[in-house]
Amino acid sequence: MNTILRYSPLLLLLLAWEAITRFGLVSRQVLPDLATIGGAWLQLIAGGELAWHLAMSMARAFGGLALAILIGVPAGLIMAVSKPFRLALNPLVQMIYPIPKSALVPLMMIWLGLGSSSKVVLIFIGCLLPVIVSAYNGAKSVNPFLLWSAASLGASRRESLVEVLLPAAMPSVLTGIRTALGFAFILMVTSEFVIAKDGIGYLIAFLGDGGVYPSMFAAIFTVAAIGFFVDRAYSMLSGRLLRWTVT
Amino acid sequence: MTAITEKQNTARNKPRTPWLNTVAGETAIQAGVFVVLLLAWEIATRSGVISPFMLPAPEDVVRRMADDLASGVALADLGRTLWRAVLGFVISAVIGIPLGILMGRFALIKWFFDPLISVGFPMPKIAFLPIFILWFDVFDTSKIIMVVISAIFPIVLAANAGTEQCDKWPVWSARSLGASKAETLWEIIFPLALPQIMTGLQIALPVALITTIVTEMMMGGPGLGGAMMTAGRFADTQGVFAGIVEITIMGLVLMKGFEALRRRLLRWQPQVRE
Amino acid sequence: MRDASRSAISIENVQHSYVLRGGKEIIALQNISLDIQAEEFHALLGPSGCGKSTLLYLIGGFIPLQEGSIRTRSGEVTGPGLERGIVFQNFALFPWMTVKQNILYGLRKANFPRKEAEDRAREFIQLVHLTGFEDAFPSQLSGGMQQRAAIARTLAVDPEILLMDEPFGALDAQTRRIMQEELRAIQQRTKKTVVFVTHDVQEAVLLADRITIMSPRPGRISHLIEVGLERQSVEDMLAQPEFTAKSEHIWRLVKDMAESAMRGPA
Repeated sequence: MNTILRYSPLLLLLLAWEAITRFGLVSRQVLPDLATIGGAWLQLIAGGELAWHLAMSMARAFGGLALAILIGVPAGLIMAVSKPFRLALNPLVQMIYPIPKSALVPLMMIWLGLGSSSKVVLIFIGCLLPVIVSAYNGAKSVNPFLLWSAASLGASRRESLVEVLLPAAMPSVLTGIRTALGFAFILMVTSEFVIAKDGIGYLIAFLGDGGVYPSMFAAIFTVAAIGFFVDRAYSMLSGRLLRWTVT
Repeated sequence: MTAITEKQNTARNKPRTPWLNTVAGETAIQAGVFVVLLLAWEIATRSGVISPFMLPAPEDVVRRMADDLASGVALADLGRTLWRAVLGFVISAVIGIPLGILMGRFALIKWFFDPLISVGFPMPKIAFLPIFILWFDVFDTSKIIMVVISAIFPIVLAANAGTEQCDKWPVWSARSLGASKAETLWEIIFPLALPQIMTGLQIALPVALITTIVTEMMMGGPGLGGAMMTAGRFADTQGVFAGIVEITIMGLVLMKGFEALRRRLLRWQPQVRE
Repeated sequence: MRDASRSAISIENVQHSYVLRGGKEIIALQNISLDIQAEEFHALLGPSGCGKSTLLYLIGGFIPLQEGSIRTRSGEVTGPGLERGIVFQNFALFPWMTVKQNILYGLRKANFPRKEAEDRAREFIQLVHLTGFEDAFPSQLSGGMQQRAAIARTLAVDPEILLMDEPFGALDAQTRRIMQEELRAIQQRTKKTVVFVTHDVQEAVLLADRITIMSPRPGRISHLIEVGLERQSVEDMLAQPEFTAKSEHIWRLVKDMAESAMRGPA
């Protein structure tokens, strides 16, 4: 009941949409009615296209993100504890940080072609920076007494990296990954939209170019909804992982 | 305790090279690493280890940028991109800040907009671009609307959070000194929420710039994004690199300028003076 | 002179300085020599900036020694060691672990077999009166309970020496009194050597057998005082005229230093 009341403004908007199309206030060509979009959506699902393109897109987004986490978290933590490592890597981070990652789309196109690898690498680079920076900041702000406690209880330097530094930096790391998750979706849609042979971004562009607007709306709302639900699921997961923070 | 920060010292010794531990020393080393990277890049391309088609030498990229600037091509594109990004950003701020503040003070407004914001915020909004193209064609309007849709979320969220978290004591003081409810909104609550609002704007600014470039890349036409896409299609690596550097510099200048503005506006805030 | 074989920690000619970011050198400790006896409760007392915590961290092996030497029965101190357990003022529990997991962490590092570690954890949780809170996260506990859990974690691995860095400084007055009483009971039962850093004169007189008073800038030992009061319950001790006299005497020594430090050049 509470949820319905909370989300009722969304229902109101849908109702307004329906009314606008019903009463012919704007051309259906420009704003298809909800039933038509729903029908087009079912057709996209039945034909298997939507699932195929989505699978390609998700593989790219999560592949790039996973790579960024696997490399970025250790790199950020080690930068925080090792000065030579930090002095060597920081110039690189500072150099890449201000580049809008979307601007790398044409470069990836030249370097890696039109296939999946150019997208995965682009998403990897885009996600890497927020992950490194959040791991570094998280590890830097860890209370040194925690590390000292572990050392006095017999933990070696390498052990305390995994057993103390990583969990203590976890709140910051998880926030960084959430930012990266958003980037992954944006970069995925952008790069597929601009240049690709498959993927949800390509499908949207293809349907738009062909003038199949109800299907285009359906595809757009699908990817937007997935973006929303993935973020929600991630929030719940990180909430569980961080049960210990505040009650 | 200051002593805690000092754990790098080797046992039984004071630091042998104390200048290394200073900010200046660390900056010098990092600048050195940077120069070495650039040199390696220059040498690798000049010697032909890496084909200039894949990676143009830094010198060539700089020359290309100078040529484009001299001929006016780059300036026209830069100007167009800057105009769209800044206009979109300003519209987002003009709508987003009052909306966020009103959401913080009026339950009805909060009720209506809260689900829209919380559902819209995590969505990849760029996917909606084809709809705006359908409605407004491929020119400035659809691009700027896309920028507003992307940049407005962090602004509304920040303004709302800043308003809801601000202390009630200054508001009550102002009320007892005779300020009306509407007056406190502008005279008390807005300045109290300003630090958070500025943070939201600082997040929104690069979002506006990135969205501008992405829309330009998707639709083509004048602007840095379109120019880069064209360069990419013709495998003009120099042009692509020049574009990346120009966008990065533009972004840095905008961000630094905004930081300066923040410091100026928030002079009264104790933690700003470091 | 005391019997050298009874010495648990011997500190000789320790000097320590650190360089500020701007390059300015600060002498934190100058010419520190001190013998701490086995089973002794030794307090390091002084105003802030006198280097008492730095000295404790040096004994713990957390910051590297620059000059002089620190020896325990296990030999020269070169880094943290299991024979020297430490309790910090605040946040020293791993916040992502429950009380029990915190205590098991050290036991695991000390290679206790699983079953034995579990038993031992339970035993020490009981010792500090936390039974029933084994599975609580630190953020769910009061400050006093957190500090008791930290003490249990340190005691469980059975260190010879217990280093305490203003352990009750963040607690409210009532909890602090209860914790002081409990700490004394624990120390009398377990016969640990305790080095206790505090800036609270009463706390030092209440708990310690001997008190080292330190003066700031540069940190030096100014007095070494034998407390020599009969150990009684805290209430009885506070009621003793000797206790009041001793506290007054020591307070005057500390106050003079603190005042001259405030007036003197930084």
